[in-house]
Amino acid sequence: MARHPDNDLIPYLRGELPPAERERVARHLEECPDCKQDAEVLRDLLGNLAHAMGQPPGVSWGRYRAELSEKLDARRRQIGWRRRPMPLALSASLAGVLLLVAVWGGREISKRGDPIGPDEVVIGQEFGLLQDLHTVERLDLLEDLEVLRNLDGLASEHQS
Amino acid sequence: MEPADEALCERVARRDEAAFELLVSRYQERAYRLAWSILRNAEDARDVSQEAFIRLYETAGTFRGRSKFSTWFYRILVNLCLDHKRKHKWWKLWVRDDDEDRAETILDRQPAPVNDPVDKLSREATLKALGSAIDRLAPRQRAAVLLRVQEDMATYDIARVLKCSEATVRVHLHRALATLKKTVEKR
Ligand SMILES: [Zn+2]
Repeated sequence: MARHPDNDLIPYLRGELPPAERERVARHLEECPDCKQDAEVLRDLLGNLAHAMGQPPGVSWGRYRAELSEKLDARRRQIGWRRRPMPLALSASLAGVLLLVAVWGGREISKRGDPIGPDEVVIGQEFGLLQDLHTVERLDLLEDLEVLRNLDGLASEHQS
Repeated sequence: MEPADEALCERVARRDEAAFELLVSRYQERAYRLAWSILRNAEDARDVSQEAFIRLYETAGTFRGRSKFSTWFYRILVNLCLDHKRKHKWWKLWVRDDDEDRAETILDRQPAPVNDPVDKLSREATLKALGSAIDRLAPRQRAAVLLRVQEDMATYDIARVLKCSEATVRVHLHRALATLKKTVEKR
């Protein structure tokens, strides 16, 4: 059987296909029950989808754009804050944490599911950054905005 | 001549605010409607579509022009919607409340009274049943149907938006359409 005419079904139903293509799709529908079924439902959907789904509640586009622009400004400020030079103390502690996580990660692979050892808890308390264990465990996702934002927050608390 | 979406996106990458404004005005209604069709909640649709524009602004430089701008942008938008759905679902499991999403749908779609004359109301009732059946589709299936029928997208582009193969899109669509057919036939 020829290739299923996925992309041609809707143009076919709308009568937009040139005669030769139209003929090809019609022949396919006669011999392919799957496409025939799809075409029947698509025919119903084409005229009725908007009606069946209803219309979304109206939006004041002026307000929508004003909100968008506020959100974008907020995001820019956040990015500016994140890109400021990192204080030496924070860089050092972050490097320390990364090292710890690397070592820790290695151990995790060898004995997955072990509870945290007491020495690790002590080191964690030393850093004061490990209180949110999930954040630290996910440091491999350093590019993730949420994690970075979290670290920034923790760092400013740490400094004050 | 109006600049093409793709050219505007290149300008957004160079932080051209006017180009961004123009792209937003071209896509805001479509983006909101598509997000609403997937999420079925106006406030979420507003938030998620706005977030999609912010991502567009932030990542315009990664648009390489290998696909149409609309495909690239819908990929951002639809995936934000699907992520939102996923998080929302997780949260609902957590608080054990799974009726929230349906509330609007049920209010919107009062069932037709049983003893109404068939002729006039049967079409209306069928449409309502169809609408509810679309709401009940798995999110990716629903997205595939909407992209195909509402946004007129080819399988190849839907595959790029949903980050899967064309064969998978075909499966999503076929299953969704089979489910919808059963609903309509039951009427
Ligand atoms: Zn076929």
